[in-house]
Amino acid sequence: MATTKITDEEVLSRYPAVLINRDNLEHYRGLLQRKLLINRCQDCGRWVRPHWPSCPNCWSTNVRPTEVSGKGTLYMFSLVHQGAPIPDHDFSTPVPIVTVELAEQEGLRYLSTMVDTPNEALYIGMPVRLVWTERDGNPAPAFRQAGA
Amino acid sequence: MAPSSKMKDQVAIVGIGATPYTRAMVATPLALGLEAAKLAIHDAGIDRRDINGICGGSTEIRRGGPGHMAVQEGLGLGEITWCLDASLGACVIHTAQAIFAGACDTALVVQAYMRYTFMSASARNDLFLGRAGDAGATGASRQTVGGDLAERWAGTAESYAAWGQRYMHEYEAPREVLGMIAVNNRTNAARNEAAALRTPITMDEYLNARMIREPLGLLDCDYPVNCAEAMVLTTAERARDLARKPVYIHASSFGQTASGSSYYEGARSWTATAPWVAMRAMWPRSDIQIDDIDLFFPYDGFTPIALAWTEAAGFCKPGEAYDLYRSSWLEDENRLKLGGRTYMSTNGGSMSHGRMGGFNYFTESVKQLRGEAGDHQVPGVKTSLLGIGSYYHDPIATVLRAA
Repeated sequence: MATTKITDEEVLSRYPAVLINRDNLEHYRGLLQRKLLINRCQDCGRWVRPHWPSCPNCWSTNVRPTEVSGKGTLYMFSLVHQGAPIPDHDFSTPVPIVTVELAEQEGLRYLSTMVDTPNEALYIGMPVRLVWTERDGNPAPAFRQAGA
Repeated sequence: MAPSSKMKDQVAIVGIGATPYTRAMVATPLALGLEAAKLAIHDAGIDRRDINGICGGSTEIRRGGPGHMAVQEGLGLGEITWCLDASLGACVIHTAQAIFAGACDTALVVQAYMRYTFMSASARNDLFLGRAGDAGATGASRQTVGGDLAERWAGTAESYAAWGQRYMHEYEAPREVLGMIAVNNRTNAARNEAAALRTPITMDEYLNARMIREPLGLLDCDYPVNCAEAMVLTTAERARDLARKPVYIHASSFGQTASGSSYYEGARSWTATAPWVAMRAMWPRSDIQIDDIDLFFPYDGFTPIALAWTEAAGFCKPGEAYDLYRSSWLEDENRLKLGGRTYMSTNGGSMSHGRMGGFNYFTESVKQLRGEAGDHQVPGVKTSLLGIGSYYHDPIATVLRAA
């Protein structure tokens, strides 16, 4: 892993199709370093999604992108047979698009996909953990069954 | 007709807030909008929970500006019963009218602007202004589908499939609960000469239809068509002098929860979505209550949305729609009559009449309540309940009534 800082310009060039801005820049810089960073309010402790520039709970602007544990459970999901393209996937097997409820806070949700877990094994409530794959030339978060 | 002066002195501005004006893009339009909103709320000396109306906007919505949904969620506001994105002077007057109309009591107006790259060469050199400008040019938004899988559900319909799955898991309901909506709507479309899909379907055909995004298949989805419809609205007083039998908007409300700005998976639960807010806010404004409703039109972009509207309206408790639909099914007519009284989606809905964003529910209601629905007229109907919109943004609940 590179130890030199990834520049703002590099973040933008690595995600040409994303509206990178000052509110979400650190999140995407984190992805490039294989870190899932979610804003956390330093005053009241709430985790904040999406990348609001301030805390919806206490209005503090002291929100800091913070690495999550990577643990969670499946809240709900859809197996997509056809739909908007996903880099490095085709739909020959339905693609699981999953909502993970992250362990850090009830209702803190992150949308992702699964790896190394057959579609037939997925169920609401399944414990999952974060792993890193690659998508479109960038590191990309995904989840697999925890304990497997 | 002379302009009405009923509104004179009836609405007041009680708080203001502004950020510094800068050339460099030091913060997103959203961050600036939120900051200005907080200043205005502090200036007014009110509690944020007093706010039940929002007009967001300026032209920066697509580029991450302070639209009304983002304002609601970013400020942690409560339930909203009037909302709009508008700009220039209109945003203030829309808001004043809404307050005068009683749609909300206390409303926040937020506007933010940015330096467009096409206005200034030096703006182009600002890293973030440039990317925002590119996003505007390509039509991408913060909810782009291709760039980040985690943002996918604002640009696809997959969240409705997942919520349908979550519903069936939580309430132990089978897919047939969605299938009954599909079969009902197709049966009604078969009676409607204007409908695009008129061949009746069976539950077996519904269950075996091609899977699109599990658990939703082809017959869970609306039917895209090229079409246009229009309506003219005026005052009740003027309507009395016009040729057509008026249909009155008896009661209405918007509904919105802090769950849908760009992360549609973030709604707290099945019942913490906008249809529940809209219906809950609408019923107290209505002399006509659910037992008086002759026709019901729940938006059916996808079957789980119509399911949510059915429960949110109060035809049954959350999770009980399957029992309701089964006890309401007319075998001889192959369609629903809720509670033995209320036909549902008599035009065939978005799924079988055609995808018009629910606008055709209004025009169908007008036809039925005027008695002009021809071969598919339901005799003697006088009231219509509409729930139109997604789980997330701008849905409305309204009761229409015949003259």
